[in-house]
Amino acid sequence: MSAPPSSPVSTASEPAALFTLTAPVAMGYIPLGAVFGFLLVQAGGHWSLALVSSLLVYAGAAQYMMIPMLAAGMPLAGIALATLVVNLRHIFYGLSLLERLPRSRLLRAYMAFTLTDETYSILTTLQKNNQPDQLVLLDKNGVMVPQEPGSTMVRQMVLLAMLNHGWWLLGSALGAVIGSQAQIRLAGLDFVLAALFAVLTVEQWRSRRKATPVWVALLSYALAWALAPRHALAIAIALSLIAGFWFAETHHD
Amino acid sequence: MIDTGYALGAIVLMALITFALRALPFVASRWLQRHDVVRRLGRFLPLAIMTLLLLHAIVGAAREHATGPWPELMSAGLAALLQWRSRNPLLSIVAGTALYVLLRNQTLF
Repeated sequence: MSAPPSSPVSTASEPAALFTLTAPVAMGYIPLGAVFGFLLVQAGGHWSLALVSSLLVYAGAAQYMMIPMLAAGMPLAGIALATLVVNLRHIFYGLSLLERLPRSRLLRAYMAFTLTDETYSILTTLQKNNQPDQLVLLDKNGVMVPQEPGSTMVRQMVLLAMLNHGWWLLGSALGAVIGSQAQIRLAGLDFVLAALFAVLTVEQWRSRRKATPVWVALLSYALAWALAPRHALAIAIALSLIAGFWFAETHHD
Repeated sequence: MIDTGYALGAIVLMALITFALRALPFVASRWLQRHDVVRRLGRFLPLAIMTLLLLHAIVGAAREHATGPWPELMSAGLAALLQWRSRNPLLSIVAGTALYVLLRNQTLF
């Protein structure tokens, strides 16, 4: 990057700060991406499919879920519906970040594309620690330079998003390589998806602390299972949606 | 074997849907914020759907063997407990999955 004509007042040790933020994500994304790449190759997928999906889809739970679906040759419509359900929570992430994301269309689109659970939670902590609108740039004479709000912050956000995306790609590549070398039959490794769902449920609970959605989900699933075990998930989601709309309409808080 | 052409089609479709969901708030923010129902749904649906997905994954895994859902419940329980205490997704996922692999590969289950 070429040296800017003006020097930002508050960018001391920016790389160090970025590394502190992205290191925990790297610790998670590299091994979890590796498990994804490994499982996909072991299920009979070409190694390049692991890379393409981590590059383009970039959503852990949906990617884990697609492995048994692809192995079973499930129709594309079913895969599309499952992706919609698993990633529905992402609609509600962007809303709380709207004001802070870059104005530039390309960067904004990239930030939206990379808004995974982890990147989202880091960005929300980033905006607590920084007051982007108070960032001031001075030119050589010490005069304030007019500036798009928080451009340092924008650069940090984009770099963070790219680093996190890179860790996920790196992990998937490692896993695909290991998976195509070794033939390990380990029953139960695909439980990683259930464990990931457990983690995401706990995090949703932490931010909501409302028992109603949990009870609605349990009851819906029990009812759906009694009606038609083969379509239990689809029916249960429909029932929970109806209940969700009903609660949203009647319970004003 | 997974057919590569078919898999690529699925991946592109998944990518488009995931991006659409993540980008929707930026395109339709005014509409989303004007409707209070959306905000309240946002507090209800993610937790309900995640609970359903967890439940479905547990039931699906438990149906593959005939010993009851105990390995699934113990392993998912461990993952959830660790996540609640430590907020470290890697630790929770690895420990939960490792316990499950252990339980499934020993003779008891």
